[in-house]
Amino acid sequence: MQFVDLAALTIHDVKNRLAILASRAETRGDGETVHDALTAAATLTQLLLFYKAEKGSLSVDIDARVPADLLEELAMEIGKQTALTVAVSVGEAPTLWFYDEALVRMVLLNAIYNALRHAVKTITLSAHVRDDCLEFTVQDDGSGYPPAMLEQPMAMRSLSREGTGLGLYLASKVAALHSNSGQEGSVELRNAQGAVFCLRLPK
Amino acid sequence: MATLTPYSNKSILILDDLPEMRSSLRSQVGSLGCERVAVSSNVKDALEQFKSNAFDVILCDYYLAGGTDGQQFLEFLRTRNIIGRGVLFVMITAEKNYESIVTAAECLPDDYLLKPFTADVLKMRLERLLEKKQRLARVDQLQDKGDWVGVIAACDVIIAAKDRYLVDAMRIKGNALLMAGQAVEAIDFYQQVLTMRPLPWAKLGLARALQKKGDATLSVAALSELIAESPRLMAAYDLLGKLHLELGNADAALATLDSARTISPNSLARHRAIASVAEVQGDFQRVEQALDQVVKKTRNSPLRETEDIARLGNALTEMGEPAKAVTLLEEARKNFKEDANNPLMAAVEAIAHQKAGNPEKAEAALERAMNGDLAKLPPAVVMTVAKACLSAGKQTAAQEIMKNLVQSNPESTGLHAQISTVLRDSGAGDVAETLVAESIREMIQLNNEAVVRARAGELALAAEMLTEAALRLPANMQVVSNAAAALLFDIWKNGLDPAKLGKAQMFQQAVMAQAPRHPKLAEIDELFSRIRSKYSPVQK
Repeated sequence: MQFVDLAALTIHDVKNRLAILASRAETRGDGETVHDALTAAATLTQLLLFYKAEKGSLSVDIDARVPADLLEELAMEIGKQTALTVAVSVGEAPTLWFYDEALVRMVLLNAIYNALRHAVKTITLSAHVRDDCLEFTVQDDGSGYPPAMLEQPMAMRSLSREGTGLGLYLASKVAALHSNSGQEGSVELRNAQGAVFCLRLPK
Repeated sequence: MATLTPYSNKSILILDDLPEMRSSLRSQVGSLGCERVAVSSNVKDALEQFKSNAFDVILCDYYLAGGTDGQQFLEFLRTRNIIGRGVLFVMITAEKNYESIVTAAECLPDDYLLKPFTADVLKMRLERLLEKKQRLARVDQLQDKGDWVGVIAACDVIIAAKDRYLVDAMRIKGNALLMAGQAVEAIDFYQQVLTMRPLPWAKLGLARALQKKGDATLSVAALSELIAESPRLMAAYDLLGKLHLELGNADAALATLDSARTISPNSLARHRAIASVAEVQGDFQRVEQALDQVVKKTRNSPLRETEDIARLGNALTEMGEPAKAVTLLEEARKNFKEDANNPLMAAVEAIAHQKAGNPEKAEAALERAMNGDLAKLPPAVVMTVAKACLSAGKQTAAQEIMKNLVQSNPESTGLHAQISTVLRDSGAGDVAETLVAESIREMIQLNNEAVVRARAGELALAAEMLTEAALRLPANMQVVSNAAAALLFDIWKNGLDPAKLGKAQMFQQAVMAQAPRHPKLAEIDELFSRIRSKYSPVQK
């Protein structure tokens, strides 16, 4: 057995344990433990995806999805884990868009976990179309990205502001995999009354 | 806002091999207010549950103990029609990307749920999926019935509404066009979908449509491009392999299926597909290699298929190992009662016994093989029974069976060629040259004679002749539909006869089930309505 196979099996096993842990915590209303278990699992997912991205075997399964559903699901999941308000703005979201839901969910979840650490009161998730691209944004009301970070080229940035940069690296990879008929998917970071993470997916 | 779908009345099955996961899922499902929840730890137990319960929702973990996985379980349920399309199947996995090796669209789960998830997420997901099932309920029912023309119309209604189910309806409509035999319409439709977005399922659909239309070369090109873009789409390899075979390129077919197996080494369907091509090619070593793995993997699983064992036995016999084949087949027959009278297995066993030098055991096996009505079996099985007759030296019986095969499948030139080869190999060279042509001539003559009789006013006799032929050749749609028409014409002319009317209805239904677009059906309908208006007082 190769290391990578063993790693995959181990990750699978640990995720099962985390799932059981999260479920038990949820039953007794312990949102904090649910949060820790789910973030730990998300980190493992990213680790596995990183390996695949490096090997060039990260594949996408693009299909018609409902952006509003995804954001509402994420907001509900996160809302139970935090005292902050998680707001959703999907009034202008298209009914359907084409993307790999598992990968996009992973990217947004990581952006939300990051926003949770910096928000003061509210995190806002939004989906809308701009220039023929679907934009998923995660916005917090904290102090924003440090200017030095916004000036760095995308490949060098660390999304978590203090982490490994894995999250942003994967977000860029996932965005690129969604390019379609000459239009590129991309990730943008900007400040606007807090930090805004934006995932752009072409039509 | 989403309307709430109550699931207190929904019946749910949970299948997971880990006890902690089962109880965790159970408590999550329980917290949603579901009361009818069944839990299984393995496929065997789950299949038992299906005998006494109908489930609305199945939550199944991808990893299952005992050499099987959730995908194999789902394929088994769908291909055996144990669950209809209205049943919600959710696959629970740790990594979607890790396992999502895509098979045929009808064997895809309705959704993947990635572990870990909270009860709230499960609830929201189930609500949305149940809403979707509700919206597609009519389409699902029509699909289950095989009423493809109805499916197309029902999908058009949803497509026109342009709601969130638009693309689901498109996917189903494309398949329905193909199933209804509307290849040209399907090509147009898929091209239209592809301008919206180059989705892999639409590209595959286009390739299928091109193949159905007869543009094999274009279809091969489309599939090669699709495989380069979506190397995990197994259905594309299967179709490409089939096309290579049709074009007479067995080596390319095997190479295609081999590359699919490299990507999805654990899939039973992969090994079975390779075995089928190798059989055509006469490469029984490959057949043995592929099926040996399938049989080993499914030996103690309820997902085992009798056919795998029969085909493996056949390969062993062909390789000159009839004793090994006999051991394999006898063991299977002892361990699984339902296999005891399986005609394919019995026929293969008869041949193996004959080659191994046990003519008496061969005789007994052959008797079992010929026990039932051969006309109701697939051509490949009947062919094996004929071969078993030949190996036992029963030339007359074999030729009778082959004659029926030709007459039941008058357009299957591949089958005709196979029959000639088998006869030639058995040493009956002279018959090999004539049997196919003779059988077809006999059938045409019978049809012609019936027409002559009918024109001469002997309608009852014509109907009788065709009825007899239709009962002997239930797969020959021309004969069966002609029999229905002749019976009805006789009734219309000569008076109502309940027995004849019953037979005509039976034949009409057989054609509708097997060839819903058969041109003769319109004439049959017309005759029915003429009979109704002529005899309407009688019916009241």
